[in-house]
Order: sequence, then structure tokens, then C-alpha cells
Amino acid sequence: MQSLTRQTFIAGLALAGLAFPAAAFAQGAAKVGAPAPAFQAVDVEGKTRNLSEFAGKTVILEWTNHDCPYVRKHYNSATMQNLQKDMAKEGVVWLSVISSPPGEQSHVDAAKAKDLTVQRNAAPAGILLDPKSVMARAYGAQTTPHMYIIDPEGTLAYMGAIDDKPTSAASSLEGAKSYVRQAVAELKAGKPVSEASTKAYGCVVKYAPLS
Amino acid sequence: MGHGVGMIRDCDGIMRRYFGTRILPGAMLALGLFAPGLPLAAESAAVTSPRVTATLLSSRDTVAPGERFKVALVQKLAPHWHTYWLNPGDSGEPTQIKWDLPAGATASEIQWPAPKAIRVEPLVNFGFEGTVLLPLEITVPADARPGETFELKAEATWLVCEKICIPEEGTFSLDLPIAAVGTVDEAAAARIDAAIAALPKPAAFRGKLRDDAGKLVLDLPGLPAGVTDLRFFPVSDTLIEHAADQPFTAGDKPALTLTRSGAFKLATPEVPGVLTFTEGGAPRAITLLADADPALMAAGGTVAPEARPAVVRIPMPAEGADLTLWAALAFAFVGGLILNLMPCVLPVLFIKALGFAQLAHRSRSEVREQGLLFLAGVLLTFMALAVAVIALGSLGSSVGWGFQLQSPPLVIALAVVMVLIGLNLLGAFEIGTSVTGLGDGLASRGGRLGAFMTGVLAVVVATPCTAPFMGAAMGYAVTQPPAVALSVFMALALGFALPVVALSFAPGLLRLLPKPGRWMLVLKQAFAFPMFATAIWLIWVASVQSGPQGVLAALVAVLAAGFAVWLVGVTRGSFARRAFGSALAALVVLGAGWFTLQNAVPGAATDARAGDIEAWSPERVAALQAQGKPIFVNFTAAWCITCLANERVALSRQEVKDAFAKLGVVYLKADWTNRDSRIAKALAEQGRAGVPLYLFYPARQEAQAEILPQLLTADTLIAAAERAGGRNAKTAALP
Repeated sequence: MQSLTRQTFIAGLALAGLAFPAAAFAQGAAKVGAPAPAFQAVDVEGKTRNLSEFAGKTVILEWTNHDCPYVRKHYNSATMQNLQKDMAKEGVVWLSVISSPPGEQSHVDAAKAKDLTVQRNAAPAGILLDPKSVMARAYGAQTTPHMYIIDPEGTLAYMGAIDDKPTSAASSLEGAKSYVRQAVAELKAGKPVSEASTKAYGCVVKYAPLS
Repeated sequence: MGHGVGMIRDCDGIMRRYFGTRILPGAMLALGLFAPGLPLAAESAAVTSPRVTATLLSSRDTVAPGERFKVALVQKLAPHWHTYWLNPGDSGEPTQIKWDLPAGATASEIQWPAPKAIRVEPLVNFGFEGTVLLPLEITVPADARPGETFELKAEATWLVCEKICIPEEGTFSLDLPIAAVGTVDEAAAARIDAAIAALPKPAAFRGKLRDDAGKLVLDLPGLPAGVTDLRFFPVSDTLIEHAADQPFTAGDKPALTLTRSGAFKLATPEVPGVLTFTEGGAPRAITLLADADPALMAAGGTVAPEARPAVVRIPMPAEGADLTLWAALAFAFVGGLILNLMPCVLPVLFIKALGFAQLAHRSRSEVREQGLLFLAGVLLTFMALAVAVIALGSLGSSVGWGFQLQSPPLVIALAVVMVLIGLNLLGAFEIGTSVTGLGDGLASRGGRLGAFMTGVLAVVVATPCTAPFMGAAMGYAVTQPPAVALSVFMALALGFALPVVALSFAPGLLRLLPKPGRWMLVLKQAFAFPMFATAIWLIWVASVQSGPQGVLAALVAVLAAGFAVWLVGVTRGSFARRAFGSALAALVVLGAGWFTLQNAVPGAATDARAGDIEAWSPERVAALQAQGKPIFVNFTAAWCITCLANERVALSRQEVKDAFAKLGVVYLKADWTNRDSRIAKALAEQGRAGVPLYLFYPARQEAQAEILPQLLTADTLIAAAERAGGRNAKTAALP
């Protein structure tokens, strides 16, 4: 295992759509400073999206679960929607990712996902459905929310928490530091991301069992 | 109660404190089980959801000022649900408690139990399933007042997850009565102690964390051989990949191989965590500190402040925490020092000091010797007292400092001692060096035994009084194992002996005293009167305990004692004369002693009560409550100066009597002058260990009594009577 890095190993498997070895754990595939794991997922419009199509643009991945109290904290207060809109203005592509398999909390079909977006006045550029948790495994998504920022060169620039207040209490939003805003601002200014890897917090991502 | 008692009244608060120290742990404990409606239960109301039933559990029913005690947040989880450890793992959030405590009280951090790795494939959470107790310690402020309530309030938040997660919160409150001595809720304490016993123990070794080709290696030198199933749970959530396997290398260099976190950070060069493993088939958990290799710090360590304090919770010490013991020792010492100023003690010590002053002109070493002998006398007498208290305590008697004042013969014996000292100070007789150092005259030289006996005597005359600080210390002592109790008593003794011993060792201090002269004689004689005043008070206490027979016994005892010392004084000279004198004196004393024991019988007191005051009993209270009458209960005792002062300045006032009559208040009196277990129980129910206690039951059935302040005024009483009788009065006013 030492010579063959787990990163390439797992990424390779993910791309091939193959089953994982049982010993594999979620994180470790994505690494800040390394090329972001490629993905291929169907969005709510039925279109297959690839990471490669966003080359030259900054991409934000947001793992989400609309029933998770931590996600709700950010949506009920419109914090997340405002962030999405601000990022759109900056020319950043925002992709929400739903990895829950059928039977798990927050598993949604395309119609329901679109409905949620309207209801919540959310503004992602796209919503990716990942019911087999392939993309989640490729990135090692652990929680909802779990945020990833990919720079225009396809390098992973940030992964981790949305902000520095790891709680579901709405009161924590006031004075919270947005790691996402910070990273995007630094990227835009051509500076290195000062806090490029933080501990994500939230509900556990519900993975589809390996079959 | 004439003029003379005024001096004793200085003991007012002191006496209250002193009786505040009387402890009834057994009674309180028993009462905790069936006192209706009283907040003695040591577990808060439960906060429930379909997933969690949570309560706040206290090891104590009753808490004492200055002590630390244990509580635990209990979470009973539904099957498959879990709450989180300090580091929740890949997702989740640890349980948090926000305390709202009385001023001066503090709560420790949660003492985290060893976590379990709960798999949510492919992720992992660190947390707890089943029933989890999160123990911690609460410190009661030293100035908490017995009789009041210690209100423990906590707001806890936790995330409970199966796969889906629900944030929950609960508010918990426990009202614990404050008493001189805390009482343990055995069942709750056993549960908390079991949880504490299961906490991870500090490792006997330190780990070392180093880099090995991108992996993290945790060296575990000192790990017992033959252990299996190891797992390291770091406190920091940015150290390792939580779900990764942790391959174990056994052998003479045991080590775990860990996988660096994607968000790897080393906040400190010292990495705390918990190591769990199986040893000899049994699960074990230790708290481990690992030193990060400097290279690792340099390479991987983005030294960033952690959102969460990265501290290993070291299990708290067991019951009888050091702080409390030290506090008790300090309190006892200071209390002993102050005890020197009590009106019955000061004369004895002052005369001793004057003796030193004269002696110092001749021999410093002799003064020092006398100081040490005095110390020995004090220490031995306190030790004897301690042994008596411990022995009685182990026999099930509820005793503390000053318990002897509930025994009429001992009260009388003390009165006799006071009278004899008074007579001696007046120069009415000289006892000689063989009995006390006092009668020797101020310039005594040879008083070795005298110095020792002065120490004994000083303690004996001090026993009716309690100084500030002593109460809490004594209260603590009697609940502790004998060795601890003895240490507290010794601290008291050292504080008590300090001024005299210091004086004997510091010639400079002696020089501060004025030159010996006639003023000494006058002062010595003047000091006789506080002793007589104390005697009067004690005889009066005996009169209340044993009625007229008690007074007769006391006065006969005083007469016999006086006669005996006179007899010994006049029969000096030949051996035959002395033998005759001593024998006769002994006979007189024995006879008087027998007479005293025959007559000074507790409970013989006849009640000199005003016509409309009834004797208290729980049944009477219940019956009157059933009739919907407002009830005033006066818990009092003859030896309680505060009680008597209240009766004089408030209870016996005409306007109070009028108000009681108008509102139909029934006045019940519970007299605790003699031992009475029912009264002791009733006091304990209100969180008290002593009198005075004033209760006003409103004119409603089942209503809780209002506790009035310990210092009463007529206005307080009338206002309370109006509150209690309010409904009745209004109803009565209607046509």
C-alpha cells in the first residue's frame, strides 16, 4: 500500500466504477494541492456532468442533506443561499451533491431536489445526484455540509468545514468565519489558501453500501 | 438573663454556628427517602425524547459549604442511537453542558468516559451507546449558608445520531439543601462512582508520535505485553483519519500505525488521547499523552489554534478530595485561633501569658518548655475529644463539636469548672501546681504539670463555644474516616495552641506586654466574672434541660466543689491531715456527683409556656393543616442564644401576639434543648442541622412551609403571618 498511493488507487477505482476493498475508508482520496478527483455524475436535469467541463473555472462542491440539522442551520438562515449567490457573482460554479442512497435520509429524486431549490430559494449552478455514493467515496465526503473548492487548474484548493462553528445552533452563525469565502477570496487574489484543510462538521454522509 | 449574660451573648452567632455543626447524617439520609415534596432526591426530572432519556444525577442529597461533590449527566439512549465523545470522529458533536450555578460555585469539565468507535460505514463516529454517565465535579462556595438551597441548573445540548442526527437539548435543575454536613445519596453516588471507576486511567508511560514515510507512528513504550484490540482516539479531530485501520506492531517496540488526517494539524507538541485495548480478556482504557517528534511538528504541523481545547481529562480524585481536606484543615486551624478569644477561654490564656511574662525575666528556656507542655496538654485533650466523637459517631450517635451540651451532667460539670476557675481567679483558694498552673500565682516557676494542665483546662473551657470557621471543619471531620477526622481535630488544636506557644517562643512578643504589677491582679480578678457568667448560663441550660431538679443538682455540685477545694486548702500540713482532707473532699465530690446524676435527668423540664403555645409534633402540624389553619413553628433550644434573643425581641412582642390572634395563627414550639430524634428529623427535612428554625405554614392544605430568617423581627413575623394567614383573613372578613 505504501508504494501505490491510496489516492491514485481509490481514484482509479472510483473512475472505473468498481467495487472498493472493504478496508477502504472514506477520506484520503481528495488531497489539497493535488488534482481534484475526477467525477462523472448526473444532475437534476438528467445531464451527465464531468469535472473536466469546468476547466478554467473555480468549482465549489457542497455535500448536502436537506434534513440534516447542520445543513438546515445554513439554509434556514439563508446563509447558504447568500453564499451561493455571492459565489455565482464571482463566476464560481457551485455544485450541490446529494450522496444518500435510496432508503436513507435525504435521498431525493431530481424533481424533489429541484423543488427543494425553489422552496429554499437556493442558487446552485447545479445539483448532482450520487445515489451510489461514488462521488462521495472519491472525495471522502464525511459530513453534510462538507465543502470542496477546486481551482481553475483542477487542483483541490480547499476541503473541510463551511465555517469555524461546529454546531447546529443557529446562534453560532453570528461571527462565524466562512472558510469558503476566505479561500475563494485568497484564490482570486492569487494568494495561497491560508486554511486549506479543516475538519468538516455536520451529520454523517449516508453512504450506499458497497455491493 | 441579667447583665452577666451580655458577655456570653457575644457568642450569639458563634453558638449558632456551633450547633449548626451538629450532624444527623443518618437521619437526613433516612429522610431523603420519604420526605414528601422535598427536593432531597438526587436526580433531576428527566428530559425525554424517543431517542434519549437524560437526567442530572447528584451524589449528594445535601451539600456542605466549601465541598466538592460529583454529579453526572445521564443519557439513556435508545438502541442504535449514540451521542458523541469529545472528538466526535468523522461527524457529530460532543455533548456540552452550560451551567447556571449559584454565585461562587464552579463546575469542572466533563470527565469523558472512554469512547467507542461506532461504525457508520465507511465512516466512524466516536461516542457512546446504551446508558452513558458524563461525570464532573461541582464545588460549593465556602460561604454557602446552611439552611439555604444550592440550586444546580444546567443546560445541556447533544447531538444524537443513528444514521440521521437530531440535535437535542435539555434544562436540568436540582435543588440541594445546604447543611453543615453534606449527605450522600448512596444509590446515586454508587452509580457515579462506578462511572468514574470506569474512566480511562492515566497511562504510566508517554507515547511518541513520529512520521514514517507519510504515515504516523505512535510508539507505545511501556505498553503491557499481550494486549490486543488497540485503538487510539485522539482528542484532536485533525490528527488522523478516524476510520482508518490502526495496524499494531507488537514486540519490544509496540507501536500503532495511524493515517494522517486530510486536515492534518498538530496544535501542540503534546498530543492527548485515549488508548483502548484488551488485556487479559478485559477491556481497558488509558489516557495517553504522546510527544510529537520535532520533525513531525516542523513538517506537518500547521500550528493552528484548535476550536476545541486539546486536553486530556484526567480522572478526578476519589471521594474526600484533597481540596476539601485542606480547606477543612485550614478552617479548623483558623477556628482554633479564634477560639482563643472566647470569653471563657481568654482569661485562662491571658493569665498563662502573664505568667510567661514574669517567668521570662528569669528563664527563657523554662518559658519555652512551658509553652510546649501547654501545647501537649491542648493536643492530648483535643485528641481525647476527637476519639470520643469518632467512637460515638461509629456507635451511631449523631455528635459533633459540643455534643456534650445536650447532656445535663456534663453541662453541670462545666458550670462547676467555671465557678472554680472564677474562685481561683479571685484568689479565694490556691490549688497549687499539682492541679492547675493558675493557682500558682503569676510568678510560678515550677509549673510543668501546671502548664500541661492549663492546656487541658483551656480546651475544656473552650468546649461550650465554637469559633467561626470551626463549624464547617468539624462538620467535615465527623463524616470522614477516623484518620482524617483526627487530622482536622489536630489542626484545630494547633490553631488553638498557637498564640500561647508563639508567645513562649518569642521573647519579643512578651516584651510587648506591660510590666507586671498591680494591674495584673486586678485584671485577674476581673476575669473571674466572665467565668461566673458562663456558669450562670450553663446552670440555666441545666434548668431547662432538667427543670428545678437540674438547678438543685447544679448548685449542689458547685457547693460541693467549692467545699472540697476549701477542705483541701485548709488540711495542709501533715500527711494525716492531708489524707483526711482529701478523703473527705473526695467523699463530698462523689456524693454531689451522685446527686447530680440522680437529678440532672434530661426531659424533666417543665414547660413554662404561655397559654396559647402548643407543643409541636408532625401529627399536630398535619392535623392543623387539614383544618386549613396557618401554623407557626418555632424550633428552639435553651442553649441557643439566638433563639432566646428572637423570643425576647420578636416572638414575645404584643403586636406579634395580636397579629397571630387576629389571623388565627397556631403557634407550635419544638424544643430541642434535649435530644429529640423527631425534631432532628424535622430540622433535617428543612436542610438544617440545628436551631433556630422558624416555619410558617400557609392556611392551605398541603402547602409548603415558608422558612423565616434566623434573626427575627416583629415586622418579619407579622408580614409572614399575613402571608400565611392571608386567605383565611380575607375569607373571614367576608360576611
